[in-house]
Amino acid sequence: VRRSLYGLAALAALFFLTAKGARAAPPSEPPIAIEHATVYVPAGPPLKDATVVLAGGKVLLVGASVAIPAGARRIDARGKVVTAGLIDSLGQAGVVEVEAEGRANDASPSGEALQPSFRIRDGYNPRSSVVPISRAGGVTTVVLGQEQGLLGGEAAAVDLSGDRLDQAVVKDAVAEVAVMTDDAVETVSGARGAAWQKLRTALEDARFYSTHKAAYDDNRARPLSLPRVELAALEPVIRGQEPLVVWVHRASDIELALKLAEDFKLKLVVAGGTEAWLLASELSARKVPVIVDPWNNLPASFDQLRVRDDLAALLQRAGVSVVLATFSPNESRQLWQRAGNAVRFGMDHDAAIRAVTDAPAQAFGLKGYGRIEPGAVGNVVVWSGDPLQTSTRVERVFVRGAEQSLETRQTLLLRRYRKVPVVRGGI
Amino acid sequence: MKRPLVAVVALTIGASCSPASPRAEPRAFPGAASAAPAQAATASLAMHEDRMRDVIEPAAAPPQANVVFEHATVLTATGQRFEPGYVVLRDGHIVAVGAGEAPAGAPEGASRIDARGKYITPGIIDVHSHMGVYPVPSTRAHDDGNEMTDPVTAGVRAEDSFWPEDPAIERAVAGGVTTIGVLPGSANLVGGRGVVMHLIPQRGARAMRFPGAPEILKMACGENPKNVYREQKRAPTTRMANLRSVREAFLKAQKYARDWDDYAKSQPSPDGGPPKEPERDLGLETLALVMRGDILVQWHCYQADDMLAALQIADEFGFKVRAFHHALEAYKIRDVLAAKHVAVATWDDWYGFKMEAFDGIPENLALVHEAGARAVVHSDSAIAIQMLNQSAGKSLAAGRAAGVSIGEDDALKWLTANPAWVLGIEGEVGTLEPGKRADVVVWSEDPFSTYARAEEVFIDGRLIYERGRAGAPWSDFELGLRGADGGAP
Repeated sequence: VRRSLYGLAALAALFFLTAKGARAAPPSEPPIAIEHATVYVPAGPPLKDATVVLAGGKVLLVGASVAIPAGARRIDARGKVVTAGLIDSLGQAGVVEVEAEGRANDASPSGEALQPSFRIRDGYNPRSSVVPISRAGGVTTVVLGQEQGLLGGEAAAVDLSGDRLDQAVVKDAVAEVAVMTDDAVETVSGARGAAWQKLRTALEDARFYSTHKAAYDDNRARPLSLPRVELAALEPVIRGQEPLVVWVHRASDIELALKLAEDFKLKLVVAGGTEAWLLASELSARKVPVIVDPWNNLPASFDQLRVRDDLAALLQRAGVSVVLATFSPNESRQLWQRAGNAVRFGMDHDAAIRAVTDAPAQAFGLKGYGRIEPGAVGNVVVWSGDPLQTSTRVERVFVRGAEQSLETRQTLLLRRYRKVPVVRGGI
Repeated sequence: MKRPLVAVVALTIGASCSPASPRAEPRAFPGAASAAPAQAATASLAMHEDRMRDVIEPAAAPPQANVVFEHATVLTATGQRFEPGYVVLRDGHIVAVGAGEAPAGAPEGASRIDARGKYITPGIIDVHSHMGVYPVPSTRAHDDGNEMTDPVTAGVRAEDSFWPEDPAIERAVAGGVTTIGVLPGSANLVGGRGVVMHLIPQRGARAMRFPGAPEILKMACGENPKNVYREQKRAPTTRMANLRSVREAFLKAQKYARDWDDYAKSQPSPDGGPPKEPERDLGLETLALVMRGDILVQWHCYQADDMLAALQIADEFGFKVRAFHHALEAYKIRDVLAAKHVAVATWDDWYGFKMEAFDGIPENLALVHEAGARAVVHSDSAIAIQMLNQSAGKSLAAGRAAGVSIGEDDALKWLTANPAWVLGIEGEVGTLEPGKRADVVVWSEDPFSTYARAEEVFIDGRLIYERGRAGAPWSDFELGLRGADGGAP
């Protein structure tokens, strides 16, 4: 039943695309048909022996028996697995070339703890060596975001392709990031009661600002805790247009985040969430996505003492939308392994794949991302086998319908040093 | 994941001195290798054994089990794979391993375990751990891994910092790890002695020492020492000062060893007065023992050129480097490392976090293996230590994709036999062979799989971890904090 539904949807998408025209891949590019693969789709089990057709930068068709457009480039993917390109959340790929070198690291601004206007995306370098390395790990999209300060700035989404910043950026602002972990509280305010108060004050002032702009411009507004540029950055959050991501681990801190969201009518996303399993039913009922690193299973700080191996599994079973992430500048290529470890600790396998594709796309409002269905963005990965398995290799990566090179600085090093010693120079 | 860069952890409270040994000090301290008189060597060894005997607390451990595992896939790390195969444990040792049915005449009272579908391997050995010295949770109180008051602290010992209640230990064992090399951090050029620990938690560190394991020394080259001391506005702040300080330390140790040699050979003075005994110096003693080959050097080094400089110094002072740790550029000099029999302990694909890690490639381990050097998967992390088996699986896959011929047994050696050699305990553990200690892991599936879980972990034939029956946390710290509903790793 599902297969035929996909077939119908595919036809509809074909008309839609024809009418609207292709955007990303050059129109001259022939469609691509990836055939005979196991294909992970948004709902239900993966399709067997299925075909995915990419055209005009998008997924045109998907199904077990689709009509392959004439002139399509056909790729035999028998025995292979196809997923949507993985999406790493709150990572810093391309923003950090070398973490320990300040000049090669634009993830963390110095200065104020409350910098909601900080745009991490301006630090994204589409030519960074980390971009192809991450892509070669099956990651096609990164939600750039950083755990720093109390209000750490705007998260943005980029596709890991293209030479130009304005091509790579999918969305300038997908969320605002707040940090209420032990570390942040200690560094910024010394005590939770002060840190939460600062956050609340900032949100109250942003709400005031958004409803008193004329008065503000005439210098008739009451004193506000932040400059205008910062208050303006919070407006989409205050209006519920963008989520507020709150980094928070301790269960009681998650309660405070939930209360904050209720009081200000915010869309909330929890990041970190070590003790979120203690509030799983509430998070599920309130449809709060939780972003988790499955490797985080140590009581590393005092707000994580009730850490568990099976956090992702427990949340998933309680109906919470679970997003899995590396939170890292250069480990995005290990996202598949993080998801695999969520499975090792009890998460459903297909749910783990959704937790690195569809779930992050939904949490951050990236329409058409993370799904293989007609009309979706053509971010697609061909894996040699189970995407979450150590022995599997990434074989092909498509971003917006265009096949990407899998060459990286590391493959060049490998080639150079395939024999030693290396002779350099000479003719 | 945030893996702490151990060396840059900056909170250190001055460590108090450990009490002086109450034992009579040996009259003769050993000198450098060939010059050492036999008596001196004996004195030194006796000292070491005294330390092994001097543990004041009795160890507590589950009983030794006599077990016959049958119908399992047995991976031995000796080049053999038995499928189906059997493993027999008796009185803390492996007594039989083989293919097919277990021979009749099992040990008295042995339980026969049908391990159909399971994989059995030797226990994993991690040569580079900071568990216990940088425990979780991260606190100022337990930040005991780097003595950042001098770039050469050869006289300190990791075992004196080791907190046996570190909650990470239980998780590591749940990942199939049975033995670790605990090292000081990499803030110092010579960080101090490490210690080899068998992972049955005890009340004090000394009772956890791997019986008979040799002494090991942590050294570090490259960025970390010079960055740490630049912040303190003192030397070294450059690589050239790194090298100078190491060279000066060994020059002093050479003289120290000579002084003790001279003392050992000296006769009472003509007026009958005793010869003057040299003053004992724990740091110089450590370095003198390194030059004599009694202490195995574990050298943190990333870049190819830094490793070559380190090997040059080792040659100059006549000692061997047992292993380079991290060694992300080992692949560039793998011919040299193989010729000098230096092992390479590294990660699967962690790279890029600092300049000296920028050229790391996922094929590093495989290329080192191909060149004939000993390759070792290590963790340097209380998280990575829980999935070293996956690291080996990833490195195996990366190497094969690059055209390197690697057997499954080779990859298992990266986890067991090779690290055993790095720590000098290859005669005791690291393979499934009769006579070896019964450090054995039963895996739910192929141990190189992402999904593999250690189901049972034996150390010295003692079942110390059984999945699903973990009960209360091992660490006193987690009692009442992790809670009954807090799950068990």
